[in-house]
Amino acid sequence: MLEYQEFCLRAELEGEVLETWIAAGWLIPETGEGPRRFSEADLARARLIHDLHDDLGVNDEGIAIILDLLDQMHGLRHSLRELSAALSVLPEPMRARIQEELRARRLPTRV
Amino acid sequence: MSADPYTVLGVKRDASQDEIRKAYRKLAKKLHPDLNPGNKDAEERFKEVSSAYDLLGDPEKRARFDRGEIDATGAETPRQGYYRDFAEAGPQGGAGRYESRAGFADFAENDDIFAELFGRRAAGAGGENIRMRGADLPFHLHVDFLDAVNGATRRLSLPDGSTLDVTIPPGIRDGQLMRLKGKGRPGLGGGPPGDALIEIEVLPHPVFRRQGDDIHLDLPISLAEAVLGGRVDVPTPTGPVMMTIPKGANSGTVLRIRGKGVARKDGSRGDEYVTLSVRLPKNPDPELEKFVAAWEAGKRDNPREGGGA
Repeated sequence: MLEYQEFCLRAELEGEVLETWIAAGWLIPETGEGPRRFSEADLARARLIHDLHDDLGVNDEGIAIILDLLDQMHGLRHSLRELSAALSVLPEPMRARIQEELRARRLPTRV
Repeated sequence: MSADPYTVLGVKRDASQDEIRKAYRKLAKKLHPDLNPGNKDAEERFKEVSSAYDLLGDPEKRARFDRGEIDATGAETPRQGYYRDFAEAGPQGGAGRYESRAGFADFAENDDIFAELFGRRAAGAGGENIRMRGADLPFHLHVDFLDAVNGATRRLSLPDGSTLDVTIPPGIRDGQLMRLKGKGRPGLGGGPPGDALIEIEVLPHPVFRRQGDDIHLDLPISLAEAVLGGRVDVPTPTGPVMMTIPKGANSGTVLRIRGKGVARKDGSRGDEYVTLSVRLPKNPDPELEKFVAAWEAGKRDNPREGGGA
């Protein structure tokens, strides 16, 4: 875990900017008894925000939307992975049946 | 793998360039191979110290090292992990608290399996998936004139039935905005709470008027007090004080009472200015009439001379 100062240094962030990111919910430091601490994931997320802003020219409103959708996408991917793990332990006939159903739904529909 | 150059030189991470140079010279003097013939250990350490100083002695390289752009050998370090890598790693990745499944709750409605995936979790998380700073709560607070001057504590009733004690600092002005940090609506999903924003309206006072840090008031005095002078009680924001009216005081004469004005931040106070206003007795007084009628000098006196009112 990183302390505030070290996080600012490594994320190349001014403290003031970091505060606005935290207030906006873009970053959620760990708050326990002591001072706020940041993880490597927080650092990678800060770099992502930098990339969006500096390299890709996204403004603050856009960043909020992108982060929200990204968080949803990762939630969805996580769920999908759980589903896949759950399906993988099913007996073979059942897996084949599911596959069949999926294929049937993907057939092009004709009018 | 090179050791941390700060450790090698024995300096703190926030050491000045000067401290770094001194630390290097001290070690170099001790470890220089020519001063330690036959000591392999010293030679190794000297190399280490030299390369550490190569890095930290150059402010530009040092800054790049501090930011993690180059490693202790001076080589460029690859970018450490994209956010994706942490997000994909699941709960161990440390990005779990950003993950959101709230947008897929509709799948959970008619399907047990998806309820397992999305519904229960989303419900159990209690809206954890949406993070927002709580809204600011605006208030309008009427403050009595004297409370604004002297400071006071007022209790606000919040819409949810709870109360909020507001400390009004002495000297607050009409229209001033007070921000009580964190006293607004609670944040969502770990977001910080909003602030209470309190707009202050200072009510007028029947006697006192405020100009900056000073208090002004009109003080009626009797004819006898004006002519002969005397001591009178004068109201001030902190209670009445005795004031001496000089002999021959007139309507419009302004007297100052030091330190009886509005409290300032530094603990001092403004002044109170008392404008005198001479009042004749309420009912006509035959004795007074008789005296003025016989008063020769009074008849010659013209207060409008020279255009003055």
